[in-house]
Amino acid sequence: MIVEISHFLAIISTALFFLAGLFALTIKNTFYTTNLISKTFSHAFLFFSASFFIYIYLAITDDFSVQYIANHSNSALPIFYKISSIWSAHEGSMFLWIFFLALWGFIFNIFIKNTEILKPKTIGIISLVIVGFLLFLLITSNPFVTILPIAPVNGADINPVLQDPALAIHPPTLYLGYVGFVIPFACSMAFLINNDASVKWESLVRKWSVMAWIFLTIGITLGSWWAYYELGWGGYWFWDPVENVALMPWLAATAFLHSLSVSIKSSHLRTWTILLSISVFSLSLFGAFIVRSGIIDSVHSFANDPQRGLYLLAFISVIILISLSLFISRFSLTRTHRSIKTLSKESFISINNIFFVTLIFSIMLGVTYPLIYEYFYDQKISVGAPFYNAIFIPIVILASIFLFFSIESKWSRSIDLKIFINPIFISLILSFVATLIVFINLEKINVFILLSIFTGLLIIFRYLIEIWNSFVYKKYLNPFSAIAHFALGLLLVSISLNSLLSSERALNIKINEYEEYEDLNIYFRDLNLVKGPNYDSVKANFFIEDENGKSFNLYPEKRRYSRRGQITTETAIYITPFRDIYLTIGDQLEDGSWIVNIQINFLIRWIWFSAFLMAFAGVVLISSKRKV
Amino acid sequence: MKILLKLLIISLPISFLFMFFVLLNEDKQIPGADYREFDLPIFNLEDLDSKRVIKNTDIKGASIINIWASWCITCQIEHPYLMSLNKRGIPVIGINYKDDRDDAINWLSKFGNPYQLIIHDYKGSLALDMGVTGAPETFLVNNGRIVAHYQGEINESIWNKVFAPIIEEQGLFK
Repeated sequence: MIVEISHFLAIISTALFFLAGLFALTIKNTFYTTNLISKTFSHAFLFFSASFFIYIYLAITDDFSVQYIANHSNSALPIFYKISSIWSAHEGSMFLWIFFLALWGFIFNIFIKNTEILKPKTIGIISLVIVGFLLFLLITSNPFVTILPIAPVNGADINPVLQDPALAIHPPTLYLGYVGFVIPFACSMAFLINNDASVKWESLVRKWSVMAWIFLTIGITLGSWWAYYELGWGGYWFWDPVENVALMPWLAATAFLHSLSVSIKSSHLRTWTILLSISVFSLSLFGAFIVRSGIIDSVHSFANDPQRGLYLLAFISVIILISLSLFISRFSLTRTHRSIKTLSKESFISINNIFFVTLIFSIMLGVTYPLIYEYFYDQKISVGAPFYNAIFIPIVILASIFLFFSIESKWSRSIDLKIFINPIFISLILSFVATLIVFINLEKINVFILLSIFTGLLIIFRYLIEIWNSFVYKKYLNPFSAIAHFALGLLLVSISLNSLLSSERALNIKINEYEEYEDLNIYFRDLNLVKGPNYDSVKANFFIEDENGKSFNLYPEKRRYSRRGQITTETAIYITPFRDIYLTIGDQLEDGSWIVNIQINFLIRWIWFSAFLMAFAGVVLISSKRKV
Repeated sequence: MKILLKLLIISLPISFLFMFFVLLNEDKQIPGADYREFDLPIFNLEDLDSKRVIKNTDIKGASIINIWASWCITCQIEHPYLMSLNKRGIPVIGINYKDDRDDAINWLSKFGNPYQLIIHDYKGSLALDMGVTGAPETFLVNNGRIVAHYQGEINESIWNKVFAPIIEEQGLFK
């Protein structure tokens, strides 16, 4: 019964959001109409959030007359997972997605004053996007459907791999990032409709975009971390189609933020900035399409339904075509007649844009090529790491070298060659020596990897010198840029060393047997059957000793969840600052031995740390008082 | 030049969108269907009335093999469809899977018997060799060779999607 209230509120809010959008785009904006639009939007949001919170209440109280809750939750689950079960499948996660979309709009609506000239149109465009998604929810993926007359007593279960704290927060964080880019998108569209080049839409959206970018960065990193320890993937990145469709908006967003700072500072690259704001948002929507249409098989795909795919594709097409036509019709609005000075900061960032767009296109190619190939030749092929490495490594190295030289550059001026020499020279020497040390100490050598270590170190040393200068000589330093790029250097070095040093092997080992791997002595001590709250499990006990005599136990597990019969592997990881020792157990062989997969992953924590550091840089920017 | 740039900006996304539209409408593989061909396993099992022994060589020409059991609820649901196949003159062979003989006979007298031949696979050994994971499953066999396999309830739409194209292609049941 309560679910009907929730359903009804969602329908009412759809109508209100539509009204807000209609007002904003048809009525001439005055102070009164802006007020009206703002109020309508807020009320629509209140209705919608009421609907959403009632739905959460239903999930907490185990209302299994609601089909979606019955299928994805269970009365035995802790409350935390009852709530997170809402976003464990398509309908509910769409519901959350829209809630976040509306939440961004609502917060924007509250914080931006009604006198802001672009506000009504921005709110109107956000409303229409929300309406598009709400119709998608209500028509093709209704989470309010009930099972009547008899509701099941216990409910099915949440997918076991999702019963994990990291996963409970990974989708919401990622969604907050994806949909957050509705604000720069809507604002740039409002700017184009408004048709006045003197309005600075870019400064209005800077902090909002950085905020969305932070969420996107953290969301992707959490996903990577979760796949490592929960899915037992044993690495940090797999070029899985859905990782790719998350990376594309991230790259576009990063390029967008760079471009945005130029447009704010000197009104250059405004065309780029608008196109990138459209790209970020369309790529976010494209991600939703890939995951929810069933066009690609991946760990992330939801149950597929062609109708949903068609609706989403149509929706994305409408958004992209309208925004691009608008852009083209106002083409001259963003053109500047001053040209960019060579070797100025602007010039470096415009080159950076080209690098990023190249990366995005390559991923797009990698994602779509297997689909096209299958269509024409009826054969499945996969595009994986070799392709992406071949493209990413050289481009990222090149872009990093450009970044290294751009650190000294100034806005609207060429690089001054006098101060140019010194810090660059020092960091070149330091990085060269450090790379040489790596080269001498390791037997495995790969030119590209050494080169990326070198460029990573260049950035790190260069910024260390900058930080030193800022402390000692009080030289100006942009903390946001310094931290973010320092993190990039760290990321490059960690990824390179990780791929150079890490190794894995599948062992065949019986209980009470010893096995040696690298510097480790592994003893299979015991195997137990364990009964969990909603699963049965085989739990192994390994005693491992390294060459320094340091020892520890690891307990990898294999679980079978009783409700769905799904089998999951629980990895056991021993963490040290520089390497992870990572164990998973596989099947038992006929002679009674077990397949045990052991991996030694170097610096993998540093990779995630670098990514979090980038997100932290964003936090620094948002909290800074400086008006940029 | 400007026109060219504009054209590029608009045509690039359109071509991508169009491509996805085409790809989305392409027929995807049907879940549960499998077209890997293999020979019918060699077996030697009693029929349900335990009157005679059935060998793999007894299955001649083209026919449908259906895995069923009296304990299987979904088998009851697909049963009328099997009856209609039988009426259409398509030979249906049953493999009674891990089932009690009397229960199976009772079940057939209650719901009707669409099968020309029923193999009593009490231990599930034949089913195991055929790659069966549970009842109901349905196979299309042509001259001792399995050419299509479907896991789950069959009905008119599954028949048209999974089996009809192969039947047409190989000119079976004429």
